Order: sequence, then C-alpha cells, then structure tokens
Amino acid sequence: MLEFESATKRFGPVVALDACGFEVRPGRLTGFLGPNGAGKTTAMRAVFGLVELDAGSVRWRGAPITREARARFGYMPEERGLYPRMRVREQLMYLGRLCGRTSTDVARITDRWLERLGVADRAADHLDTLSHGNQQRVQLIAALVNEPDLIVLDEPFSGLDPIAMGAMSGLLAELAGAGATVLFSSHQLDLVDDLCEDVVIIDHGRVVLAGDLVALRAAVPQRFVDVRYRGPAPEWSRLPTVEVVEARTGRARLRVDRSTDLAALVAAARCTDDLVSFAYQPPTLSELFRQAVAA
Amino acid sequence: MNAWRQGWLVAVREMRQRSRSAGFRAGLIVTLVVVVALVVVPSMIDTSGGPKDVGLVGTSTTDLPQAIRDQGEGVGTTVRVHRYDGVSAGHEAVRQDQVDLLVVDSRRLEWQGRADEQLQAIVTGAIQVVAVRERAASAGIGSGQLQRLMAPVPVEKAEIGLTEGRGPDDGTAAILMTALLLMAIAVYGNLVLSGVVEEKASRVVEVLLARMPARALLAGKVAGIGLLGFAQFAVTALTALAATAAVDSVDIPAVSGVVLAWMVVWFVLGYVLYAMGYGALGSLASRSEDAQSAAGPVTYVLIVGYWASFIVVSGDPAGGWSQLLSLVPLTAPLAMPGRIAMDAVAWWEPALAVVLTLAAIAGLVVFAGRVYSHAILRTGPTIRLRDAWRSTASHAPHAPRLPRPV
Repeated sequence: MLEFESATKRFGPVVALDACGFEVRPGRLTGFLGPNGAGKTTAMRAVFGLVELDAGSVRWRGAPITREARARFGYMPEERGLYPRMRVREQLMYLGRLCGRTSTDVARITDRWLERLGVADRAADHLDTLSHGNQQRVQLIAALVNEPDLIVLDEPFSGLDPIAMGAMSGLLAELAGAGATVLFSSHQLDLVDDLCEDVVIIDHGRVVLAGDLVALRAAVPQRFVDVRYRGPAPEWSRLPTVEVVEARTGRARLRVDRSTDLAALVAAARCTDDLVSFAYQPPTLSELFRQAVAA
Repeated sequence: MNAWRQGWLVAVREMRQRSRSAGFRAGLIVTLVVVVALVVVPSMIDTSGGPKDVGLVGTSTTDLPQAIRDQGEGVGTTVRVHRYDGVSAGHEAVRQDQVDLLVVDSRRLEWQGRADEQLQAIVTGAIQVVAVRERAASAGIGSGQLQRLMAPVPVEKAEIGLTEGRGPDDGTAAILMTALLLMAIAVYGNLVLSGVVEEKASRVVEVLLARMPARALLAGKVAGIGLLGFAQFAVTALTALAATAAVDSVDIPAVSGVVLAWMVVWFVLGYVLYAMGYGALGSLASRSEDAQSAAGPVTYVLIVGYWASFIVVSGDPAGGWSQLLSLVPLTAPLAMPGRIAMDAVAWWEPALAVVLTLAAIAGLVVFAGRVYSHAILRTGPTIRLRDAWRSTASHAPHAPRLPRPV
C-alpha cells in the first residue's frame, strides 16, 4: 500500500500539494484525477523523491520509502523520454540494471516484454528510428523492466490511438491483477470509469474525493434518470426532488434524490405517448469529478 | 543498489555509447593521423640524415678525400667524395644536385641553395687538417708526434634550465603539458556539458532520477567521460611514442618520473573540478544551443586561469603570485604542474594544493549535485544559478490552476 500523509509542497508562492492524503491499494487499479495544475505530477514525483516535500510524507508498506523499496518501483513520467541514439534492448537493460537487478534477470524481463508488446524485432535498433507508437511501448517497458511492485504512470493514455489504448488498459488491469499496486493519472474519465476500482481526485493540491469507485458512486445522495420517449415531454417540474439536468426532444436526464418516489417518476414518464427506455443509475465518474472539483 | 554501483553503470554507459559514436571514432582517427604525421613528416623532409656528396676540382692533395670522409665520420655523417675535371664540370654537378658542395683548389667552397653548414664545417675541418699535416711534415714533425699534438680534448655540453637542478626539458614539458591539460579540460568538460543538456532535452533524466540520486548520475557521467578521455589521451601518446621510436625524428623532452606522475594527478583533479562545474551549469539550460552560454562562466574562469598561470609561473615560478595561483583550487591544476616541473616548490606546497583542490571538488560535488537536481527537471528558458540553488524556487511541473474565485 502506498500512502500520502498530509503531503505538502510549495513552489515559491504556489501551493502544489496542500496536506494531500490518500491511499493506493495493492492489486487494484487506482485512477488519479484532477484538473491541469491540480498537483498530480508533483504528487507522483514525490513518490520517487524527484520532489522534496515541505511537510508530510509518502509511505510504502507502512514505512518511509527507502532506496531499496524504490528499486522495486516503476515510473513512466508524463514527459516521455529515453536516449534517442541508444539501441532499444541495450537501453532497457541499462535502466533495469540501474534498479539493481542482475543482467540475467533484466535480460529475461526485457525480452519477455519486448516480445509481449510486439517490438522484439526492433530490439537492436536505435530508439529514434522507431515509430511514435513503438517508442511509447519501449517507454512502458522501461517502467516495467524491474518487475515493479508499485507502478506509477503519468498520463499513460495520452497520445495513444484507440487500439493502443485498449491494449494499455488490458495491460494495466493485468498488472494489478497480478498483485501490483498501480496508480495512473488521466483526463479520460470514461476510460478510468471503466477500468479503475479506485479513484483519487485532487484539486488545488487537496484530495477532494478518494476511494472505491462503486462505493463513492453509491454514497452520493443523488441518482440520475435517463428517459427516452416519443410524444410530448412529461411535466417533470411538478415532481418534488427532481431536477432536469438536460432536456431535448424525446429524451431527458434528471437528477433525483435517492429518496425520490420512483413509482411517481415512472408514472410521470409513462404520461407521454410511448416510453422507450428508463434508466436509474448513480452518477458517472464525470459527474462525480465535476461535482467534486466545482465544490 | 548503492549509488557507487549506479554511478559506475552510468560511467560504463557513457564510455560504451561515446566510444561507439561515429564522431568519436572519426575524431580519434584524425588525431592519430595528425600525431603520426607530426612525427613522421619532419623525418621525411629532413635532409641532414642521408649521405652527403662533395665534389673536388682543381688542385688538391691526395689526402683530402680521406680527410673529408674521416671528418664526416667524426660527426656521424657519411660523405662521398667525387672528383671533376674543371670548374665548369663541377658547377654542372652542383646544379644537377649530384654534389651538395664543391671544393675548388682546396681553398674555396661553392654551393647552390640553402647552405649546409655542417657539411661546410666538415670540409673546412678536413682542409685545415691536411694543411696542418703538410706544414708539420715540412717543420720536421713526425705523424705520430702530430697525432699526439692534435689529440682532441673532450668538451662536455649542457644546456641549463630555468631553475637549478632542472633541465630545460622539464620547463618545456611543463608548458606543453599544461597546454594539453587545458585542452583536455575544455574538450572533455564540454562533453560533460553537452551530455547533461542532451539528457535534459530528451527528458530521459526523469526516468533516471526516479532510479538514482542526481549526484551519482553526475559523478558517473564525469567519471565515464574522464576515463574515456584518459584512454584516448593514452592511445594518442603511445602512438606518438611508437612513431617517434620508429622514425627517430623528434626529441622527446626527458621528463623525470616524478614530474610525469604529478602531471597525471593534476590532469585528474583539474578535469574533475571543471567537469563538475560544466555539469552543474549545463543543467540550467534546456536546449543544446543554450548550453554554451549557460556554461560560459566555467569557460571564462578556465581560460583566464590558464593565461594568468602561464604568465605568472613562467615569469617567476617561485614568486608569491605563483605560490598563490598554485594553491587556489581553480588555478592550481594550471599553475602547480609548471612549478613542480621547474622545481620551484617546497615539498608541502603540492600536498597542500592537492588537499585544497580535493576539498573544493567535494564542495563542488555538493554544489553541483544540488544545482543539478533542482534544475534538471525544469525545462523552458535557461534557469538562473541563484534560482536553481534555492530549492523553493524550483517550479511546479505545470502551470498551477488559478485560485478559486471567492
């Protein structure tokens, strides 16, 4: 388990992390969300000692992070970068050995990942001769070449095409399934919604929402009702505790309290010519995010 | 994994990658070719080595050809003597380069082009010997007696150096080696500079620093480039020595082993000192084109330090200013080797200078490590040194969000 405890970091007059506290649990995928400039990259850098905290701490398995522990961490920074004029396999071997692994170990892991991600045939080429997509794959292997227990990825989905995104999602789920602790930041809320068990949302350096996604959604007192129909629009406003979020011809999205009388709602919906569909569900991650950040 | 081991891996990578690059190999080959040419070409255009030809015309005693050959042998030159009928035939031989010198009537020397003074001395000596023999014979002195009279007195020759106890070669070597030291620091220091900026520009540095301390990365880079430079230097020096041994054209100053050992010590200290400076200031720049201006102060100190040391030490190696320059760490590597070579130091001075320089290197490692680790993740315009030193000034990875409206 990775824990942030009141982590605080100022850059001159700017507060990047403001008593930021949250947990990342092993064997689960944790999405790290927040608007630009919220402090995500600073928090991730703090895990690797790239940023010295002014106060608070980051702990791994209940203890301060040592160099030995960090040798079992994997990191993919937002600003991608490797040596452009170095051969792919040699470069990965070097990065693996810097983590203290033996060459035999690193060679085994490197070759496995090169094979797995389909870049084994480019192993002897200079990195800068590879396509953008393949360079991204090599960058990902660089984060995995020491078989990390903790994997931190800053915007792993940015710049990926839909197919690569699918592959990346599958891979992250697989790594978490194998027991690793995985934290990644992203702006693709729908993707995080589908993929993650846990989310952490920060804004202005403070955690505004964190925890199990299903529980977070269930805990929100509001529910959303999506209705599709034919004919005149029902008079939603006559119902108490119902708020129209969006209304267009033939469809409406309503925000209701959990306590709202569903029977009355259904009855109102059936007042129209033809009720096509009626869905009652908790807020999406996007809604949770907007609510949390706007609060 | 400890930082030393990581630093060593960095050093090995530097050596491997750089020695493989086409630029490095081409540079080494060009250097070797130039060095070999510098040694070999003078021996090819050197005319003093081969046998000489002397022509005789007009009256001369039968002893003269043998006397000329003997005189030549005395100074290690083979002289061949040819006889021509008449002055015009002799002149023709000179013009056709068949003879280097023409002797007319045993009393006049004629040549064309550059005068070969050694050959003239040989021939003049031979003429004198023959004349003295003739006069001795007419004065009734026997040839045995004459030989005793003429037996040469051995004369020793010695050029003295700038200071007592040191030959001129030590002084020459000091000047030469200090210039080489300056060149090595500038060349390899600049490799450290460009290496640091490249890592920052390609952003690989964040991947590296997530694995190792900035100090180990910088130290490994300095060590790797230094070792590679040293190897390159050694290969060049050995090639020069081999070429010299093969053609025997250049006199290598005979330097004492102690002076040579001190030179190596100052090579290492000077390079490490300045390379740390180059590395630290290089981390302030984000693009290769900004690297030189960011590292400008290091280059200025190096150049000014070199000239100050050169002028002061060669003027008065034992004076107070020389003493000062050779103890101050920034100029010690440039001033101390010269003073040691000229034996103008007390025993404790080099020792103190080494201790001071080592202390300065230790301080610079802390300074460079701090500036480097603060600056290396900050991209954009070149950072001011003062800002990089202050940790609070390091900037947020992204523009922060504007404060919430109240």
